Amino acid sequence: MKLFWKTGEPYVLATGAALAIILVMSLTLVGVVMTNGLGYFWPKALVKYELKDGSTALGQITQQEKNPISGICRFQLKVANRDVLGQDFRWIDEKEISKSSQPAEAVLLERREHGNYFGFLQGVTAEGLSLTGATPYDKLIEARKLVSGKLDDTRKIKKQMSDLNNSAEGLRLKIQKLEYKGSEQNAAAISELTAVREKKMSEFTRLNEQATVTLAEIGKITAQMTDVAGGNKDISLTEIVALQRPNSMSFFAKCGAYIERVRELLLDDPRESNTEGGLFPAIFGTVMMVLLMSVFSLPFGVIAAIYLREYARDGLMTRMVRIAVNNLAGVPSIVYGVFGLGFFVYGIGGSLDSLFFPERLPTPTFGTGGILWSSLTLALLTVPVVIVATEESLASIPKGIREGSLALGATKFQTLTKILLPMATPGIMTGLILSMARAAGEVAPLMIVGVVKLAPTLPFDMNFPFFHMDRKFMHLGFHIYDVGFQSPNVEAAKPMVFVTTMLLLAIVVLASSTAIYLRNRMRSKYTTSTF
Amino acid sequence: MANKFTDKSRRNDRLAEVFIRIGGIMVIISVVWILVMISKVALPLFYSPSAKNAANVKIPAAIGAGKVLAIGSDENQLGILVLDESGTFHFLKASDGSLSASIKVPAIPSGSLRVESAEYVGKSAYNLLWDNGAISSVAIELTSSKDKAGVVTLTHDVTAKDDLTFADGVGIKRSFARVIEGKGTVRVDQLTSGTLRVAHQIVEKGLLGNEKRNNTNTEINSPLPGRLSAVTVDSKGHYLYAGTDNGWLLRWDISEPGNVNLLESTPASENRQAITSLAMVLGDVSVAVGDASGTLTTWFPIKVAGSGEDRRLTKIHTLRPNQKNISSIIPSPRDKTLLSLSDAEIHVDHMTSERNLLTIRTASPAVIAALSPKGNSLVALDGNNTLTLWKMDIPHPEISFGTLFGKVWYEGYDKPEYAWQSSAANDDFEPKLSLVPLVFGTIKATLFAMLFAAPLALLGALYTSQFMSPKLKGRVKPVVEIMAAIPSVVIGFLAGLWLAPLIDKSVLTIFLSIVIVPFMLLFTIFFWKRIKTASLLQRATRGHEFVAMIPVVILGIYLAFLLSGFAEVNMFAGDFKQWLFSTLGVRYDQRNSIIIAIALGFAVIPIIFTIAEDAISNVPRNLTAASLALGASRWQTAWRVVLPSALPGVFSAVMIGFGRAIGETMIVLMATGNTPILSWSLFNGLRSLSANIAVEIPEAPLNSSLYRVLFLSAVLLFIFTFIINTGAEALRQRFRKKYGRY
Repeated sequence: MKLFWKTGEPYVLATGAALAIILVMSLTLVGVVMTNGLGYFWPKALVKYELKDGSTALGQITQQEKNPISGICRFQLKVANRDVLGQDFRWIDEKEISKSSQPAEAVLLERREHGNYFGFLQGVTAEGLSLTGATPYDKLIEARKLVSGKLDDTRKIKKQMSDLNNSAEGLRLKIQKLEYKGSEQNAAAISELTAVREKKMSEFTRLNEQATVTLAEIGKITAQMTDVAGGNKDISLTEIVALQRPNSMSFFAKCGAYIERVRELLLDDPRESNTEGGLFPAIFGTVMMVLLMSVFSLPFGVIAAIYLREYARDGLMTRMVRIAVNNLAGVPSIVYGVFGLGFFVYGIGGSLDSLFFPERLPTPTFGTGGILWSSLTLALLTVPVVIVATEESLASIPKGIREGSLALGATKFQTLTKILLPMATPGIMTGLILSMARAAGEVAPLMIVGVVKLAPTLPFDMNFPFFHMDRKFMHLGFHIYDVGFQSPNVEAAKPMVFVTTMLLLAIVVLASSTAIYLRNRMRSKYTTSTF
Repeated sequence: MANKFTDKSRRNDRLAEVFIRIGGIMVIISVVWILVMISKVALPLFYSPSAKNAANVKIPAAIGAGKVLAIGSDENQLGILVLDESGTFHFLKASDGSLSASIKVPAIPSGSLRVESAEYVGKSAYNLLWDNGAISSVAIELTSSKDKAGVVTLTHDVTAKDDLTFADGVGIKRSFARVIEGKGTVRVDQLTSGTLRVAHQIVEKGLLGNEKRNNTNTEINSPLPGRLSAVTVDSKGHYLYAGTDNGWLLRWDISEPGNVNLLESTPASENRQAITSLAMVLGDVSVAVGDASGTLTTWFPIKVAGSGEDRRLTKIHTLRPNQKNISSIIPSPRDKTLLSLSDAEIHVDHMTSERNLLTIRTASPAVIAALSPKGNSLVALDGNNTLTLWKMDIPHPEISFGTLFGKVWYEGYDKPEYAWQSSAANDDFEPKLSLVPLVFGTIKATLFAMLFAAPLALLGALYTSQFMSPKLKGRVKPVVEIMAAIPSVVIGFLAGLWLAPLIDKSVLTIFLSIVIVPFMLLFTIFFWKRIKTASLLQRATRGHEFVAMIPVVILGIYLAFLLSGFAEVNMFAGDFKQWLFSTLGVRYDQRNSIIIAIALGFAVIPIIFTIAEDAISNVPRNLTAASLALGASRWQTAWRVVLPSALPGVFSAVMIGFGRAIGETMIVLMATGNTPILSWSLFNGLRSLSANIAVEIPEAPLNSSLYRVLFLSAVLLFIFTFIINTGAEALRQRFRKKYGRY
């Protein structure tokens, strides 16, 4: 035993324990995100409780907690019906419950506003529709199918309206510019453009009326619902996004519902100030910002790395560059945000505005946060990642290859472009992917230079000039912060945040694993073991 | 042909070299550029203020020899206004002193002939006291414009405001009239007999809309400690302040009609210097007191020990003394800046920062001086009827090194404090921009996080590089690297919305884990020997010990959780947080420093781990081999041979981790309550420099003091991390040189 202590085996175990704690923490993090995120879409049973005081409650159990003193369990029930009950959740003590059941006919309605509705379907009022379904539920589904065509029409009209709106806005800016240049000289052009614009606006109004009429028509079709307490509520079909009867769904039906929800998440727009619906604009914004960023950071990083590894002689200069690279990597990201705000947004953006868009001032065009400034700021932030990875991959190429090329008469530049860079590509790719992962997860600087809670338009669309560099955008990371910490109903928004977190984590982890795999393969390709 | 190709290749080669060199140097440039650009925004905070003489104008003879009662100027230093005894406003062009217009005050009270005195009451309005004791109020508008040819046009207007006539009489030296919102008017007269009279006129509206005016008149007859030498009333008409020629400062409550109540009398200075002037500082909380020796102090009521709930006037700020007696104090209409006139000098001081902003010397002593409504031009009249106009440029009067890093006594506080509060709902709010609580918060968060992360990361790195089987190492290292890639917003979110409520439910688990997990480890170690004797296990476990430790750790935490419930019920009456508060007086915040330590620690562990592991692994294998060959155990080798050699690298790993923790924004933002407090308590939140920037900068107006202070905190963060990173890099470079591996 004494020897055991003397050789220090216990200390080895202690260090092992430290590593164990680290790993347990990481696994916990991933586990928590996965369980909370993956479970959100699974249709949970609607439980009906009859309480001892005679009241009833219908909802999904979200949490269960045991009182340490009395040992009594209590359940957190998501009761939804926010517009009726005022809150989404309620706690119920185990001892209050006299009877619990899972009524098969309980319906879950996902609504466009006020969150979900849990209740029972009594009937469908459908004027002018002949419904053949046997049960009210079948009738409702049938009615939804019948109106879906009309809804598609209104969606098309909405699309036309937004196009008209865009071109009218473009014309407005043109007129503004002409007026700024001199309303007298350009009077003819201005009146011409104004006429065109007014024509578009009247077309817009006409379409708007048409859409309103159609929607009102559909709006007349309502589902008559009663909640568990017996209160009646008519919910219009236009309000209903999705419906299900979770208690009478088979496993496969649940799977189907799950996949449908995932599709909605990835491809739909958010609802209810981001706490429901999809994440499409946030995903799109993140991806576009990251791609734009790599356009700036990749060449800069690769050139700097080539300089460090191939051109610089060991000396003061190289050391200074290395220190600079380390500092670029080590400076807090918020400082980049502050720099971006002072230099890109107010500095360059402000100058661009006064040079090219003086007529729009004081409304800023580039002089406010936008996707261009965000990606430039993040490019600066991620350059060190590219530099380090590229440098490492260049370093791992054996010296003999360089010497061979040079001996054959190639210039240094030819060696670089024809031999070294192709060989170092996996390393450069590693750097690129790592920098993208870093940028996708970075939020602090973006909050200052251009991310918004809800962007009305995507930074890319079918209107000239397609890429709108001045637009603000949505971002997955900011979505987490905003919905999780700034929304009025954090408890109800939490599942959505977990889903976003899971998505972001999945993207980042997947990207870094790929990068690390690529790098390790490259390492083992060239290095030979010495011991 | 071949030659041409070679030439082209050579030319390309040279071009590329230049290009790549520039690219390399660009890295240095961008670092310097970042620092330069953010410093450039922060620097104007410390620019010294200036007053540029804009014009010197003699009052035209046409105005007559009548006494000048008030002067003023516009915002562009182009126009000056002069009010004379006859109640006429004269508007002069500043460029040549020519008279642009003279306008008689409208709605002169009947029977009034001559203006006795005029009081500037803010927002371009004057109260005029007439010789028959009537008071009228006028509003002046003076704006100027300059066209392309340089021709100045003045636009002016004089309009009568509400009628304040209600108590007249002769023998009034000065008078202060104030409108009490929704109630009526109050008027304080300083009589030539040396006493004060307070008169209220309360307007009561009857049900039928008929007005009933109620007049009360109170003369202050109680004997004063000396002869009155200065009087002022706050703008809401609540308090009356007076100073005497033997240095007493008096305060009355005049808010109740008919009930004038002397609240207190205090000697204003040690040697009882005569108080020569009084003025209310913007915001109506502080009163500025100037005395015959040239001392300028500001006072406001605070709670004094032993006086219960009563608040007593206390000397708060002593500004830079003037040479001679202070003849008049002019408060700025924009901020807490004060102008004091004394002989041939005008001092401009900021009350809160106690900064002497400017000292303007005049040719001869100024009799009257006035600031424009925005406070950017100053006009003074001297004894020779000459008007002097200055353009004032005081960029950030409230900011000084002292206010940013020292204790400041703000209005309404009972003692000087370090305070950060950038905005509030009301208009005359003074921003409190002390960086101390933020720097403190940053250090606190970083320190706690490092205490948690550094031991774990370093021990883990030592294990991974020295004891782990190479095959496993190849798997564990990428896991830690992926851990490094986890976005901080994810960690912050989990810390704030998952971990914080979890720990909130059972705080004791954390403390018990600290005890129980090591105990469990000892227990395992004790039995390890036994388990290991089975030779098959011995081979299997070597290099895999940590796998066995994982269940031990989990079990330990679970045990702590179970025990904490038990302990809470039996030792802390079921609620540890309540016990903390009632027994130790410690407030428990849900988002506290424990959460920060864990979350921020989690974020820096992989950074420290990776760099430290690299450093330890880079110690030449032959050293290890030699040590092992001499019979040392693997722990002895690692601890006595490898670790000392790798120490610089390990140290630099900790430094880099430290640098990361300092600047981390999202985690601190989400996992703390962002309360800027100075408390080392584990159970309280904090606000760090970086989170503060993220919180405040979207609200900060461009080029405001707040905006620049936030840039200054970014500069601080930059410099701080720069020093740490450069130090760490220098260490690493030395370490690499030593072993020549890199």
